[in-house]
Amino acid sequence: MTIVHVNGVDLHVEEVAPIGDQTGTAVLVHGMTTDSMASWFLTLAHPLAQAGLRVLLYDLRGHGHSERPATGYRLDDFVDDLEALLAEHWKVDGPVHLFGNSFGGTVAFSYAARHPARVAGIVAIESAPPTAAWFGRMARRLARAAETLADVEAIVDKRPLFARRARTASALLAETSIGAELPNSVLCDPAAIAAIDCPVLCLYGADSAVRELAAETERLLPQSRHVVVEGFGHTLLIDATDQVRAEVLAWLLSYVR
Amino acid sequence: MPSDQTAVLADVDTMLRDVLGDFGPDAEITMDTTFRDDLGMESLDVVSLAGRLQARYGNSVNFALFVSTFDVASVGELTVGRLVEYIAESLDKVPAAS
Repeated sequence: MTIVHVNGVDLHVEEVAPIGDQTGTAVLVHGMTTDSMASWFLTLAHPLAQAGLRVLLYDLRGHGHSERPATGYRLDDFVDDLEALLAEHWKVDGPVHLFGNSFGGTVAFSYAARHPARVAGIVAIESAPPTAAWFGRMARRLARAAETLADVEAIVDKRPLFARRARTASALLAETSIGAELPNSVLCDPAAIAAIDCPVLCLYGADSAVRELAAETERLLPQSRHVVVEGFGHTLLIDATDQVRAEVLAWLLSYVR
Repeated sequence: MPSDQTAVLADVDTMLRDVLGDFGPDAEITMDTTFRDDLGMESLDVVSLAGRLQARYGNSVNFALFVSTFDVASVGELTVGRLVEYIAESLDKVPAAS
């Protein structure tokens, strides 16, 4: 396990080397609370490496095996971490493909809004750019998760194989300021989001409410392609891995080469 | 069980106990042990195990390729034996160092 210290925090990073000639670099960013880099590692990391991409993964601060500081959970803190990892640890010069699951997609869009020239493409699964509507939902989701995870022992009793993940998420919500800080993040100017000119692929589960945000994303990013997968909800990446993989690889091939 | 598999099982046993730490099993780890139901492995433990396999066997064993053939839900049903066989087969394909 590799832990690196960047932007004042210890972060867990992993890397999957490209198979054959390298065609680009992908950074995979996971979602909030109970998520970790594992959901990417076990689904898309290898297929992307096989497509020639150098695949970089990390656990967000407060998540997985990364450090859980008491404070420092504004959107900008997460974007600063990604920026520091790319510059100081992975030392990536050229533009990268950013893959984000749920909140991870928001980190990806925010990084691209900050550095449009450093991003070659964005794949957002069940996600949206940092808009007021999305952060409103996030505030409610965080509050609900805090309630659900408050009695972590009850969850552990029912779902023993979820135990450590539930405890990590419970500690994040109970012992840090994420619930207060993240929903109150300063969001970037919508014009900065609209200035992102790289290709964008957005995937949604038909049963998830996140797809209601698609219209605004399309308005901000008219070049974005939107695909709704029938029969799945917010955990699309895990539950519909084959469909996600097929959509992503076809989309990559259509413009990467 | 072929002798190369016995050696690999011993390696995997050590790695699993490292990954699981205090949560590791008291019982012996055998070819029939399942990652999820017997060992209680969570998804992030699989990532840690992959890192240890990479450090131990280098590029001769591609654990990521192995797990990507399973979906996240079924990776937990994987037995230690399937992994040990996969490692032994992968090592077989590597030309011996001269």
